[in-house]
Amino acid sequence: MSPLAGVAPMSVPPEAFLAAATILFVIGLVGALLKRNALSIFLSIELMMNAVNLLFLAYGRMRGDAASHVIVFFVIAIAAAEAAVGLAIFVAVFRVRRTIEVDRLDLLKW
Amino acid sequence: MSAEILLFALAAGLAIAGALAMVVQKTPVRSVLSLVVTFFAMAVLAVMLAAPFIAAIIVIVYAGAILVLFLFVIMLLNLNEEAREKDTRPAQRVLGLIAALALGGILLGATLRAGSPPGVTAGGGPRIPSPDEIPAVGRLLFSDYLFAFEAVAVLLLAAAVGALILAKRRVD
Repeated sequence: MSPLAGVAPMSVPPEAFLAAATILFVIGLVGALLKRNALSIFLSIELMMNAVNLLFLAYGRMRGDAASHVIVFFVIAIAAAEAAVGLAIFVAVFRVRRTIEVDRLDLLKW
Repeated sequence: MSAEILLFALAAGLAIAGALAMVVQKTPVRSVLSLVVTFFAMAVLAVMLAAPFIAAIIVIVYAGAILVLFLFVIMLLNLNEEAREKDTRPAQRVLGLIAALALGGILLGATLRAGSPPGVTAGGGPRIPSPDEIPAVGRLLFSDYLFAFEAVAVLLLAAAVGALILAKRRVD
């Protein structure tokens, strides 16, 4: 465990950060469940990942551990890779079907 | 009430308001712009958690690169508005909302009940940013996590090549 040196206690309770991250995660979940446009669903997933990043940072702060920052760094790098591939898939699907509404993309459903 | 609590309330409120606006908006462009507000507020929260490096990459990579990529794709596909067709499954939307809110309640209760992880002393709460954070992260990245770091580099290259091949127009 690599400690974060030279930092003083702060007045905001860590639970407040955990609560904010959980609320953001749930808003992202609601968006991912209720949106019909594949792009909007993807945006909601990005929000959920960022909420989890915030949770990582809050727990890392509580433990005084810089490893959480490394994990968040990896999550952001993988989110970037996922966004590039996901958006390319949407472009390819749009070329064929002329829509990215998830209700109309039911080729594999039946 | 201290300035820090005020700043936290402001940043967290802005992040949640931006996220709510993102879900409520019908136009994808407005959703993306609302999410930019949320990500900037989250960068403020990251600074408050003594993670200035993470705050910088949230602004640069998320708000600066990923969301701009989203905007490009929205413009490319000309998705001005979500198709407002008749809702074929109203019951599923209600059920989805109930399920998400129930899961949120359980998660919120569980995280708040769980509290601090083991081994954390009473004074181990969030602390003010320190310039010592970035060398600590860099040292970890190139020692303990070196293999993962190199693997992520390969993954990013593969993703870039894959995105190019996927989005390329077929030449017949």
